[in-house]
Amino acid sequence: MPLALRDLQAAFAAHLIGADSAELTAEILGDAIPAMARLRVHRHHMLESLGSALAATFPTVQALVGADFFRGLARAFVGQSPPGQPVLAEYGAGFPAFIAGDDAARDLPYLPDVARLDWALNLAFHAPSGGRVTAADLAAIPADQLPSLRLALAPGAALISSSYALDRIWAASQPDAPASGTVDPDGGTHLLILRRPDDAAFVALSAAEAGFVAGLAGGLSLEEAAGRVDSGFDLSASFARLLGLGVFAAAQ
Amino acid sequence: MDPVVGIGLRAPHLAEIARQRPATGFLEIHAENHLAGSPALQAIERLRADYAFSIHAVGLSLGSAEGLDEAHLARVAALVKRLDPALVSDHLSWSSFSGRYFNDLLPLPYTEEALTVVVRNVQRLQEVLGRQISIENPSCYLGFAQSTLSEPEFLAEVASRSGCGLLLDVNNIAVTAHNLRLDARDWLTLPAGAITQYHLAGHAVNDADGEAILIDDHGSRVSDGVWALFADVVRRFGQRPTLIEWDTDVPPLAVLLDEAAQAGRLISAEGRNAARAA
Repeated sequence: MPLALRDLQAAFAAHLIGADSAELTAEILGDAIPAMARLRVHRHHMLESLGSALAATFPTVQALVGADFFRGLARAFVGQSPPGQPVLAEYGAGFPAFIAGDDAARDLPYLPDVARLDWALNLAFHAPSGGRVTAADLAAIPADQLPSLRLALAPGAALISSSYALDRIWAASQPDAPASGTVDPDGGTHLLILRRPDDAAFVALSAAEAGFVAGLAGGLSLEEAAGRVDSGFDLSASFARLLGLGVFAAAQ
Repeated sequence: MDPVVGIGLRAPHLAEIARQRPATGFLEIHAENHLAGSPALQAIERLRADYAFSIHAVGLSLGSAEGLDEAHLARVAALVKRLDPALVSDHLSWSSFSGRYFNDLLPLPYTEEALTVVVRNVQRLQEVLGRQISIENPSCYLGFAQSTLSEPEFLAEVASRSGCGLLLDVNNIAVTAHNLRLDARDWLTLPAGAITQYHLAGHAVNDADGEAILIDDHGSRVSDGVWALFADVVRRFGQRPTLIEWDTDVPPLAVLLDEAAQAGRLISAEGRNAARAA
């Protein structure tokens, strides 16, 4: 009895992630190219194409570990966590945590944080651009209402905090970076990732600025968010800088 | 009628095309690359004033026995509504099972059971989009012992039962015919009235246990054998909008436009031959 279509697809799907079955092989016509070799074309394509998609989404991780090592990491991740839907730009949310559990992270302890940065840049790159709040918009609001103002982050904007110098590590991994030898990875950073008109990028924030932005992102008013951070925080200077960067989404 | 030949619009060429607006019959995009509403999609929307569009989906999994992923279908439908393309298509294949997506166009057995599944899924897609879609013949690397129909017979039945169009990928015919030891001329028996578009692309020749196997990698120029088969196809079915696809190792835009020009010359020459024969 040939397999019903649903059972055939179940067996094929299992093969793709590494579980071979004689039941499936028996369904496939082989000749000088045996059934297993024919099936391998599909498994190879799945692993390689999804590995390439991960390499496109995590270019800094790949630059740090090298293309060959990255391919191995990606194949292991694909086998364990294939995509749940067909949009490849949305595949890889679990990759930073996967890397954290891999031996590679023992030699490069900052690798999971670099992966989080790559993922945030990817999300920002695919986010819609949309309008931003400007200083001129705020000038139209009565001064006594500003402290209670609540602002949403623009699509794609995100904060990443790390106990490593992610900005230095990232810069030294770029294809056009000077080959200046080793980078000192130590030193905590707070990075704000942003969708700019033509690309995605990040800027470094002070710890106080990062706390302020996190407060606003969490729904606090300007006054409440500013109250959460150090007394030395220069609210007007930092807020002007954030407005200039286009961090906040214009009200719909 | 002048031949209509278009090119695939891929990320590395978007800025150049937006700036230079080269002459081409239409632009094709992959639905799954543009579902997030990113600035790239906004740039594509601005190109609609100058170009017709074709939306080619790769992830609807029309051959899935378990039916379509309604969430993905809704996103594709929103994109189709937004761009209002001249043609919408996906493949005669499946790519998802039980909530997992494999990023490959996986083969179907050509049976009555699979026919019922594909027709039901195509009808659901056409119902949600409110328009006819076209399905493309896949590149095959294996065949199933349980198949009772040939691929052209299966495609003709899907078109007849669902009312969908057929997108004839000439490179895929060459790849499938070689890999499964079939005769490419079998596909010339398809119903001409159902055929809505042609695809042309390059393929790679790989080794499988010492035997040559053709891989549909869209990573090179169209091969001589595929050009010859394309001439047969145009002679048999007449001209249709024709797409040059190139997805891996994407070359400079000029190379794509050059391939498109070659396709246009071939279609024109076959048109003249047909006119002389008439």
